[in-house]
Amino acid sequence: MAQLTLQAPTALPPEELGGYLEQLWQHDLEHSAGAATFSLVVWEGSWLEQQLVRSGRADGPITGLLSPELLEAARAEVAGCGLPISTAPMDPRLAWALGKLPGSHHTEDLRGQFVESAISAHMPRRLITLAPTLDAAQPLETLVAAYCPLPEDGGAGAACGDVVVLRGGMGSLQQGLDLVQPLIHHELPCWVWWNSSLDEAPEMLEALAPPTRRLVVDSSLGSPRRCLDILVDRIDAGQAINDLNWLRLRSWRESLAMVFDPPARRDALAHVVQLDIDVEGDHPVKGLLLAAWIADRLGWHLVNSYTVPGNGGGSNGGGSNGIGAEFERSDGQTVQFRLMPVPVGVPKTHPGALVGLRLICQRPAGGSPGAPLCVILCSESGGCMRLESGGMASMELAEEVVPLPNESEEMELARLLGGGHDSTNPLLAAAAPIAAKLLPS
Amino acid sequence: MSSMLTNPLRVGLRQERVIAPQCLVIFGASGDLTHRKLVPALFELFRQRRLPSEFAVVGCARRPWSDDDFRARMAEALADTIAEHKHAWERFSQGLFYEPADLSDTSTIAKLGERLDAIDRQRATRGNRTFYLSVSPTFYGSGTRALANAGLLADADRSRVVIEKPFGRDYGSAQELNRIVQACAKEKQIFRIDHYLGKETVQNILVLRFANTIFEPIWNRNYIANVQITAAETVGVEERAGYYESSGALRDMVQNHLTQMLALTTMEAPGRFDPEAMRNEKAKVLQAAHLANEEEPWKCCVRGQYGTGGSKANPIAGYRQEPGVNPNSTTETYVAMKLFINNWRWQGVPFYLRTGKRLPKRVSEVVLTFREAPVHLFDAAGGAPTANQLILRIQPDEGAEFRFEVKAPGSGMRSRPVDMAFSYDESFGEPSDEGYVRLLADAMLGDPTLYTRNDEVEAAWRLYTPLLELIEDAPWQLPVHPYEARTWGPAAADALLADDGLGWRRP
Repeated sequence: MAQLTLQAPTALPPEELGGYLEQLWQHDLEHSAGAATFSLVVWEGSWLEQQLVRSGRADGPITGLLSPELLEAARAEVAGCGLPISTAPMDPRLAWALGKLPGSHHTEDLRGQFVESAISAHMPRRLITLAPTLDAAQPLETLVAAYCPLPEDGGAGAACGDVVVLRGGMGSLQQGLDLVQPLIHHELPCWVWWNSSLDEAPEMLEALAPPTRRLVVDSSLGSPRRCLDILVDRIDAGQAINDLNWLRLRSWRESLAMVFDPPARRDALAHVVQLDIDVEGDHPVKGLLLAAWIADRLGWHLVNSYTVPGNGGGSNGGGSNGIGAEFERSDGQTVQFRLMPVPVGVPKTHPGALVGLRLICQRPAGGSPGAPLCVILCSESGGCMRLESGGMASMELAEEVVPLPNESEEMELARLLGGGHDSTNPLLAAAAPIAAKLLPS
Repeated sequence: MSSMLTNPLRVGLRQERVIAPQCLVIFGASGDLTHRKLVPALFELFRQRRLPSEFAVVGCARRPWSDDDFRARMAEALADTIAEHKHAWERFSQGLFYEPADLSDTSTIAKLGERLDAIDRQRATRGNRTFYLSVSPTFYGSGTRALANAGLLADADRSRVVIEKPFGRDYGSAQELNRIVQACAKEKQIFRIDHYLGKETVQNILVLRFANTIFEPIWNRNYIANVQITAAETVGVEERAGYYESSGALRDMVQNHLTQMLALTTMEAPGRFDPEAMRNEKAKVLQAAHLANEEEPWKCCVRGQYGTGGSKANPIAGYRQEPGVNPNSTTETYVAMKLFINNWRWQGVPFYLRTGKRLPKRVSEVVLTFREAPVHLFDAAGGAPTANQLILRIQPDEGAEFRFEVKAPGSGMRSRPVDMAFSYDESFGEPSDEGYVRLLADAMLGDPTLYTRNDEVEAAWRLYTPLLELIEDAPWQLPVHPYEARTWGPAAADALLADDGLGWRRP
């Protein structure tokens, strides 16, 4: 984590914002080159952090960054809030439940001033943070600061940028939207990072992220239907959309591909008859995206999808419904798919993390040689007992543990920003529509 | 999905670092390397989505081409690839530009600077520039100076210069060239390319050694008896006679490619996988390396030159009969030598290097032969037990092999050698990228790990200085032994090992 601006930003009346920035670049920074990089607009809800601090369960200041201490405090509140123990700390329901707890602790709000150093290393020309507050009636505050990173080797050529923070209640931020548009440099690429639930402030998302801007979302945050619809709509509109939830699937995709790297195994991919995926809690999007990616890569056609009743209630998350589907392979054979929520004691940070995957390949009698193949991938922290059970003794078993990704959202975002990609990853573009169809209506 | 030739789950999964918006400027754009290696490598990166959308290639040469001329010529050269990827080429070629420029003419370089500024605005490349000098080595120094004088290397964070091999002709000229380029740019901006380091299998030497615990404890003089490094080619001098006549196998292959393989095989483990830590270790081990007999180098080195060979039906011309070669040429097309490394790890272990043209097989490999078991308990099927060998196959059939003794089936206790093999093909089944794909990407990422640093280059030249001086001053002491084309080199090379009771491995 790095503090982007050494000086505290200057608070200005909103109407003076444009003029102040103009003056800043014409006078104070006239000898500095403006970083010819990109603008980054961040919707920084930070509801969990705000609620934990307000209710006295975490210390401030509010920075918008997820610290281990903050996550620990969130985990400690899950049971107390009456939520299933499989509830991930970032599940918006936790922040909402915390909102019902008493408390009125105030602390400094430094959102927009702190940024992961991997992001600041790309020197955004303008970092605009919209920071909604818990108090919906809070008037709009606008803060401005400039920064000029000192080159490590002491050389010349510092390229400067500026930071703009718009803070206030939801209503005042709506009004402040008019301020944002002129602040975005038209000649530079603009990224919009929706760092919050996709359920909130849909009109704000529409206004901030028209198709010409590169959008970064997290499809683990928000109702599954809304998350998938946003992905599909934006892809259809030709917008460059990046999904952090999809990026977190990287190690699963890599581990599964690795199983089939040896050419001797590849033939089995043409004979898949069953795919099972277990996920934490009741958020299926990540599991659906993985299944959709497999289906797309293997050329399966979705026949139907349906809800699979969960196996009983209870507060452990095990009672949620699953999703079943049938695919048709290119040779006309059927592939059965099941996605089931499973209870876990210590859920990962984001809702719907994967617990395990099982792929069964039934080579036809008289066809390719070899026993049926069963591939099981397990998450590092979770067991795969459910997937390991059930008549696989006669199968060739390929079992792998999928390593946990070691990069934060900010690091993932930094990779995106550094690359400047202006199109959606084609694998995501192909998988998202299938995932949306897999989710039963 | 009718074909399972490729792994469908592997497509698009590369976990590559992402290149920042970038303008790659190629000097020598009308030359062979540009259309044979560089632009194909860039197109491959583009198809793999490893290039940012804010990307441009600017070809520079003396010819008065337009952007469209350049695009058309590149399209012609890549016709086969483009036929399969027409749409991708359409998008990629929009980022190809051409600017006539002469590195010895300051006005054209200044004009190039203006063009690059315009392309920066047009393609939003953020001022990140990589200059690739694919020109005659005589322009490396003056070309770098011209770029610096035009201010194109002023921003040490955003500009880089890639310099092709050979970097100098000997120790002195390499030092001089280093002095010139380092006066123009910081070391972190200078990328001295050796395309062998772009090979997957060369990089695998590092992974094999430092990602496994089983090898490192035995990777030293206590367990390894000798090491052979071979780079054999079946081709002759082809169209490179002009260059080859003045370089020979020692400069063309040994000082760079074989020496890099030697360094990776023998270096200490770096503290971290970091360019400077890596290159520190490589430089250190090269500084500790020396010819087996520096006082009398002719005793530890053999030079050879291929003569005619082949069959009546398919005769192969000798080197001196090749077009463009002096009929009395004494340029070596084969070198074999013995080295030692004076450090705690390798003291006393002989390293045998050989390379040659018109040998029977195209093969590059590193062979580590381990010491024999101290006591032979069992009869060996072959008369004597075979020493354990670890063979790192660089090309072709990329992979590794470990040779060890097992019990031969039957009632007795006889041993015989078997091979445990790892093959890239069998394990991954996908062709590796061309070395230039990796190296170009690294240069644009600003990662010099696989590029050679000034002290490495100088250490490599210094290692062979006694030989180069001998060839220059008293060539009769290091004669060029003729060998028949498509044989494993002159008999004198076999004698070099026979003196140590050894023989070359027949790959």
